[in-house]
Amino acid sequence: MTPAAVRVLRWGSLGLLGAALLAFPLVVTNAYYARVGGLVLLSAISASAWNIVGGYAGQVSVGHSMFFGAGAYLPLLLYNQWQLPPTLGVPLGMLVALGLAVLVGTPTLRLHGHYFSMATIGAAELIRIVVSNWEFVGAAIGLRGPAVSRTVWDFAFRSVVPYYYLFLGVLAVLLAVTWRLERTRIGYYLRAVKAGERAARSLGVPARRYKLYALMVSAAFTALAGSLYALWIGFVDQESGFGILVSVEMIIITALGGAGSLFGPLIGALILIPLQNLTNALYGGSGTGLTFLLYGGIIVLIARFEPGGLIELWQLRVRPLFKRAKR
Amino acid sequence: MLLHAEGITMKFGGFRAVDGAQLEVHEGEIVGLIGPNGAGKSTLFGCLVGDLKPSAGRIAFQDSDVTDRSPEEHARLGIARTFQVPQTFEDLTVLDNVMVGAFLRHRRASDARAAAEAVLAFTGLAGQAGHKARSLGTPGRKRLEIARALATEPKLLLLDEALAGLNPVEIRRAIELVRAIHARGITLVIVEHIMEVIVTLAQRVIVFNQGRIIASGLPRTVMQDPAVIEAYLGTHGRRSAG
Repeated sequence: MTPAAVRVLRWGSLGLLGAALLAFPLVVTNAYYARVGGLVLLSAISASAWNIVGGYAGQVSVGHSMFFGAGAYLPLLLYNQWQLPPTLGVPLGMLVALGLAVLVGTPTLRLHGHYFSMATIGAAELIRIVVSNWEFVGAAIGLRGPAVSRTVWDFAFRSVVPYYYLFLGVLAVLLAVTWRLERTRIGYYLRAVKAGERAARSLGVPARRYKLYALMVSAAFTALAGSLYALWIGFVDQESGFGILVSVEMIIITALGGAGSLFGPLIGALILIPLQNLTNALYGGSGTGLTFLLYGGIIVLIARFEPGGLIELWQLRVRPLFKRAKR
Repeated sequence: MLLHAEGITMKFGGFRAVDGAQLEVHEGEIVGLIGPNGAGKSTLFGCLVGDLKPSAGRIAFQDSDVTDRSPEEHARLGIARTFQVPQTFEDLTVLDNVMVGAFLRHRRASDARAAAEAVLAFTGLAGQAGHKARSLGTPGRKRLEIARALATEPKLLLLDEALAGLNPVEIRRAIELVRAIHARGITLVIVEHIMEVIVTLAQRVIVFNQGRIIASGLPRTVMQDPAVIEAYLGTHGRRSAG
């Protein structure tokens, strides 16, 4: 294939994907499927946010639920305590997440590999336990949002469609930011740190500082995903906000699609979320256990056969077949 | 004086890997740092590039104290290094590897790319620019490490066994590269345990043994120094020969 043909193919498939995502709620009017569509986008946002620090910088945080939870709790906390519009809590949640990123990241980013992952689990679990015992933030019961919209600032709708387009817009912005990062100094520095921190530092890369930058950007967008979740669902408790499964889901989705690639998390979400809903629908209330099984199975398969995820599978195995056929 | 190290001591527990070493490097020199295995060369090297903080002593680069500075600050000041075992970024392309180095002096990606391409042309790696680093063999990786270090536009380049593991033809090409780097006005410190190579390359050699500098001077003079011969061959060998 000529470079021009590759470019046409790339922009063509990107355009098709965009058009399909834009048209989805117009074509699919069934409430259940529309809901799954919203969930896919929401998971794609949080996984893409995780991808910045976990994929590009290679720092596998298993504590991202603390950012997601902060983003989910703040809007509903403002509403519950002071009857303020939840949307006001969105920037606040992002600010809290940024503070948490600096507070937790500064000591833990000195650790490498699994030690960093374990430290982040510890920090997130600590926060979850504090939240579940703290009456002010709803303790074990959780927080509820406004049932009906008082003003437009409550952002409460019956239909999923307004949320869907909001999610799509946020995802587009996040992917644009990531795309930009990829091509500038910070992107190169993050990939260098992932490939070898010692060598990167010898070339003048202030590794710890750049890892912290990545964590901060990642945390802010993860908090935004949490806020969007809370605005849409109108309820959050310690498990759905700060539970470890929230972090694990981001990791699995990213790893499935391809960590450290722009569209990996979106592809992962497009596959995993419908699959997850299918198993939940098939087995009803006993479905949560099956979700864990599904996650475990996916981890084993990715680790054994394709650590680069589906994107790499495509690039290394499928695309060469096309090339050979052309010749 | 470009680099000045004084009284460098590095203790690991009770063991002194480097014991009061003094070292001076002048601008425009090629200095060879040699010594038998386990002499403490790598430890001293680690101190000079900021990987290790010496237990005692101080290191000055262009009259500023760098003893406690981090590796990245060393790079920013103009001290570049290669690794004994190449630490190339395996999943990145050769060009991207070098661009990481070039970003130190060029903020914009387009400028960094141009600078990296110039370094690739200079080091003879331009043909492999688009390949992943993992596709290169040992000589290619060592060359890429040098290219990446050069992209940081250093004043001083420290090579840690850049020639080990190369065959005679590759060694000759590597020597040509080192000479070309020197011709660009970059000062070099070369750590090597193969003496033959150093003798043809370095203007001055420093011989290291058991954590101490035992000889220093012109390669030919140093090679005839009894202490050096003893360090490399051992006293036992000399006795039985004589």
